[in-house]
Amino acid sequence: MEKKLSEMTYGEEGIVKSIEESLRNNVAGMGIRTGKKLKMVTKQPIKGPVVVLVDESRTSLGLGIADKIMVEAEK
Amino acid sequence: MGLSVDERWDLIDKISKETVTFGKYKHTLKDAVGELTIKPLTGIPIAIAVLYGLWSFFGSFAGFFTDGFFVSLFDEHFLPWIQSVFPDKGGWLYYIFVGDPLADNCFEAFGVLTSGLFIAIGVVLPAIIAFYLILTLLEDIGYMPRLAVLIDTILHKIGLHGYAIVPTILSLGCNVPAVTASRILETRKQRFIMMTLLAIFIPCGAQLGIMEEVIPDTMGYVLIYLLIGYFILGFILNKIIPGKSPEILIDVPPYQRPMLRNVRRKMQMRIVGFFKVAIPFVLLGCAVVNILYKGGVIDWLANVMSPLLSGWFGVPDETVGPLIAAFLRKDLAVAQLSAIPMTSYQMITSVVLVSIYFPCVATFVMILKEGWKDLLGSVAVLAAVVFLYGGLIHLIGILLGVA
Amino acid sequence: MKVLLMGHPNVGKSVFFNRLTGSNAIESNYPGTTVDYTKGYMLLENKDVEVIDVPGIFSLEPKDRAEEVSVKMLEEEKDAIVVCVFDASKIERGLYLALEIIEKGYPVIIALNMWDVATDKNIAIDVKNLEKILGVPVIATTAISGEGIAEVVSRIGEASPVKIRNIIKNAGD
Repeated sequence: MEKKLSEMTYGEEGIVKSIEESLRNNVAGMGIRTGKKLKMVTKQPIKGPVVVLVDESRTSLGLGIADKIMVEAEK
Repeated sequence: MGLSVDERWDLIDKISKETVTFGKYKHTLKDAVGELTIKPLTGIPIAIAVLYGLWSFFGSFAGFFTDGFFVSLFDEHFLPWIQSVFPDKGGWLYYIFVGDPLADNCFEAFGVLTSGLFIAIGVVLPAIIAFYLILTLLEDIGYMPRLAVLIDTILHKIGLHGYAIVPTILSLGCNVPAVTASRILETRKQRFIMMTLLAIFIPCGAQLGIMEEVIPDTMGYVLIYLLIGYFILGFILNKIIPGKSPEILIDVPPYQRPMLRNVRRKMQMRIVGFFKVAIPFVLLGCAVVNILYKGGVIDWLANVMSPLLSGWFGVPDETVGPLIAAFLRKDLAVAQLSAIPMTSYQMITSVVLVSIYFPCVATFVMILKEGWKDLLGSVAVLAAVVFLYGGLIHLIGILLGVA
Repeated sequence: MKVLLMGHPNVGKSVFFNRLTGSNAIESNYPGTTVDYTKGYMLLENKDVEVIDVPGIFSLEPKDRAEEVSVKMLEEEKDAIVVCVFDASKIERGLYLALEIIEKGYPVIIALNMWDVATDKNIAIDVKNLEKILGVPVIATTAISGEGIAEVVSRIGEASPVKIRNIIKNAGD
């Protein structure tokens, strides 16, 4: 099922489907790119940032940034 | 001949497929602790505990050395000695360097070599060492990015994001390196908000140390007023300053065992850096204020400023002296305030005023280095804030019946 | 000639710098807070060569002013040799930065640092093959223990600019 990264739940894994153009350069250096598998580590309450795991590295992204990344969630 | 982002990653995937094999990764205790400290349910209580620990270590370490060692060294040995050997009792030089010949402690003497040295070495040095020790450990372990993630939501409301906690906490040691650290924020708007907030509302380690020593009972109220001011002003600045406030995007590195040599070097550099800025200004501040007192300038200013000071802010007119000293050093100003007789609410108000009304001269110069336009903006904001917030605190005092 | 050390934050770059220069640089977890950058000298073919420890960055597209400073340092040293230091266990992110620097035409030498950590994590890297594909020297290092540093020093001279086309060709499909 395709959804926004921000909509993933704790521990859920997924493959990045698309990243909004304006954002691609910014997240590329962190290893986040189309086709990459990632896992949701935590979500902070009250619209706080998310932390995702990519290649055993943790990256924190604001919720607005996570809204612009689409993932295919794994069941 | 540069590749696009996607082309570059495609190439890396190809290279990686041919050269790297990822074995089964076993999660370790370090990973488990890493997750506990970043998940909100466990992470937020841990963060509060860490900050509380930082605070109580700061207080007890500094108190231990100041009260247990420096107070007796300065008051019982150094002060009587310098009072007896310094020539020309009652002369100008004596007044400037030693101060009141009848004083029996270094707080009330107010000479450059008595109060000045005592504040710098006896009070501020232990406070700064305690603060930087904990801060450096937290940094080198890798805790700061986690704190940034946990606090992001709150700082987002004032146009910043979680990583702004780095300059904010650094500023509790000294505002000077914190101004440089505000460069880790993405936009000019964010950097302006950060610099202005820390110049106005964050007390530095020297000031915290002296407050802990001279006004331990009312210090909590001062900090609450400063904290509330930090968020109110941040909220307003975020609304009125044009520009973007990008969201947090940071790497959260694994925990590391701090390398002792690195911690030592970093602390050494920070403490030396701090004192290069602090000592000359503490001594200069003492001298300038003494000269102004002796020349009658302070009394004259106290008269002229009376409507503003006792009328609008509700503090004694004598606070004009410490307010002048605060241009140079906040720690010195707080020490001087503590010697002026006033009610405890007036003490709270005047310490808040001393904190917010102007960044110390070293911070001022640092902000100037980041750009004079930003400096002018900060100063304009500052003038408005001091006038309004100072008046507001007075009003609250009147409503509570304590002013 | 100058040598620039570049890489992500938190990869032991300053320890690496200390090993190269014998001086005491300070590892800062975020750039811009303690020092803008650290300079030192190393002995290379009997000459003192300046080494600059560039504050850690993730890519050459700066997202804040601290990263801007790092990118500017690279751009100002047109004839520098760049030693890319990464965390070997995060090799893909590291290669991203290395390729960006190679694309700009700089001679590059790659140090896969924290090799011990990668081994602990069961990550195996074929260093020889990686070197063949990239066409630049690649060396496994563990700066904390000093492993591999001597090889980096002895092979700095081998670094030369590489055309990205050749890397694409070598990577095959």
